[in-house]
Amino acid sequence: MRLLLVEDDRLLADGLASQLEKAGFSVDVTGTAKEAMLLGVQEDYRAAVLDLGLPDGNGLDVLRKWRQDNANFAVLILTARGDWQDKVSGLKAGADDYLAKPFQAEELIARLNAIVRRSEGRVLSSVKAGHFELDENRQCLKIDDGTEHSLTGTEFRLLRCLMSHPGRIFSKEQLMEQLYNLNESPNENVIEAYIRRLRKLVGPETIETRRGQGYLFNDAF
Amino acid sequence: MTLFRKRVSIKGTLLTLLLPAGIGLMAIAWLIHGLLLERMSREFLESRLKDEVAFLELHIRQADGRIDRLQTGDYFEEVFHHAFAIQSPDQTVISPLSWKPLLMPLLQSDGNESLRVKDATIANAPSDILAYRKSFLVSGVPIRVIVSEDMGALKNSQAELHAWTAIMSILLIILLAGIIWFGINLSMRPVVSLQAALKRLQSGEISRIDAEAPEEFQPLVQQLNQLLDSLDQRLERSREALANLSHSVKTPIAAVRQVLDDTSRPLDESLRHEMGSRLGDIDRQLEAEMRRSRFAGPQIGKSAFPVKQARDLLWMLGRLYPEKSFELSTSLTEEFRWPIEEHDLNEILGNLLDNAGKWSAECVELSLEQHDGLALIVVTDDGSGVSEGDLVNLGQRGRRLDEQTPGHGLGLAIVREIVARYEGETSFSNGLKGGLKVLIKISI
Repeated sequence: MRLLLVEDDRLLADGLASQLEKAGFSVDVTGTAKEAMLLGVQEDYRAAVLDLGLPDGNGLDVLRKWRQDNANFAVLILTARGDWQDKVSGLKAGADDYLAKPFQAEELIARLNAIVRRSEGRVLSSVKAGHFELDENRQCLKIDDGTEHSLTGTEFRLLRCLMSHPGRIFSKEQLMEQLYNLNESPNENVIEAYIRRLRKLVGPETIETRRGQGYLFNDAF
Repeated sequence: MTLFRKRVSIKGTLLTLLLPAGIGLMAIAWLIHGLLLERMSREFLESRLKDEVAFLELHIRQADGRIDRLQTGDYFEEVFHHAFAIQSPDQTVISPLSWKPLLMPLLQSDGNESLRVKDATIANAPSDILAYRKSFLVSGVPIRVIVSEDMGALKNSQAELHAWTAIMSILLIILLAGIIWFGINLSMRPVVSLQAALKRLQSGEISRIDAEAPEEFQPLVQQLNQLLDSLDQRLERSREALANLSHSVKTPIAAVRQVLDDTSRPLDESLRHEMGSRLGDIDRQLEAEMRRSRFAGPQIGKSAFPVKQARDLLWMLGRLYPEKSFELSTSLTEEFRWPIEEHDLNEILGNLLDNAGKWSAECVELSLEQHDGLALIVVTDDGSGVSEGDLVNLGQRGRRLDEQTPGHGLGLAIVREIVARYEGETSFSNGLKGGLKVLIKISI
């Protein structure tokens, strides 16, 4: 399994490379952002370990470049700072997981295996309806005007259900099956609350209410 | 200056100074008006009485001193509306007759002068009169003439006039008070907008004062903005420095650790373990202190969008734990702000959600609400929860309920500390379905 390790600290890179090779990866090591961008696009990797603080650039830019060029291998980012915003930006840029330094090699390998497995069956899949595109891998909604909204689990499942059959009416009971909730007995009010929130994203006319029947996604808007 | 040492509003001070001053000045003006009115009317009256005496003298001289020839009806009384008395050695004429007891004593003496009789008590005659007496000779016969006017009637109309002036004065005072009030409010308007701007700054709606401040306050506003700028810069610089430090220290630690973990290297096993745990201690200490020094704490002009930040974090954790569901329940809108520094709020929400994500079975719920000036953050998970006895130990520094999940104790301890900086409350309880429920209240 080919893996690209992007880390500028020689000692860490060497140590990690040997540990990863022991775990069954065939590892390419690079210490610069420039080389990493090229390698990631040219070679056919299954995974990458990417340090965010590189001497000649930001790891996030490397990641964005990869994703932009359709390099869809699993990426785990290494960060020296435990800032939540950094983690969010890393995942938004297309990473699959992050690990804060210092870490144990076993944990890195376990996480790598997990994200590789997850990305294995991953095909570029998205649901399109009207002006909207639902990115299934990243669980987010893209709108024609270029904006992107991140969705929570239930929002995503509800919207996928509605968007996969535009114009079809889904009853509240059908939608309830998509619900994942802490409530003892999720009731219909919860569905209404989620629909309200989704309408804020896609516009009130896009999700229509049919009295006594349910909801439908109108892709004409 | 003692007046100003007390903490009074500018408006209050101006009112307490200007209003009594206005009322005092108006009262003085009214009194002076009264005095002048009295003097003027008396002078006017005297000159009229003199004119009438001169007129009578002329007639007496034309009649050659024969007073009885003047007595042709009520001519004088009708023309002058004044009482008069004429006395020659052999005859005295008084009109009207009822004034006789009043005027007779005045005829007893000689000389040209104004006379004033007050508080006389004679029936059918006024009690207060002003009279002018003149003595002269006509063809060698001495004649005295008195013309007098009832001062009572004059005084009445004078009092009426004075009363009207008083009413007008009071109306003017009310008008003056209104004008003062209006003027103060008008000149205080920029201050009011400044006050509103300060309030918005405090609640985090704006990050700098942009209100049109009066010239006198301009330096103050400028200094405040500069202070905020320098605070911002300092926070940013120290965070930047910490990030750089973090990067330059953590990477070597990670590298050394890697070397230690490599069992193929010849190293005494107990030494390897010892060094590893020392390195771990250093890292934990460093991490805890660094995260602590990144807190901003409550800072004026700083605010965060809780719903936006929560959405991002929930989405991120949903990606990291794909088999679990991270849900948001809130009635706040995306544009809603809380006066909590962005990084601090991220640290609170991130640590709580990450912790819940680790322990939950399949669902984590975050609820954001605001009631009665309290920001409420509730994170509930459906994990196995924490035993009643251990609830109190949660979030205490150095305590870990489960050594197998590193960072568990630190995360909650950090949350507790940040919330304490904002003078908020953190409480732990077991949720309805058995998981842990963390409730955070911060007054805003």
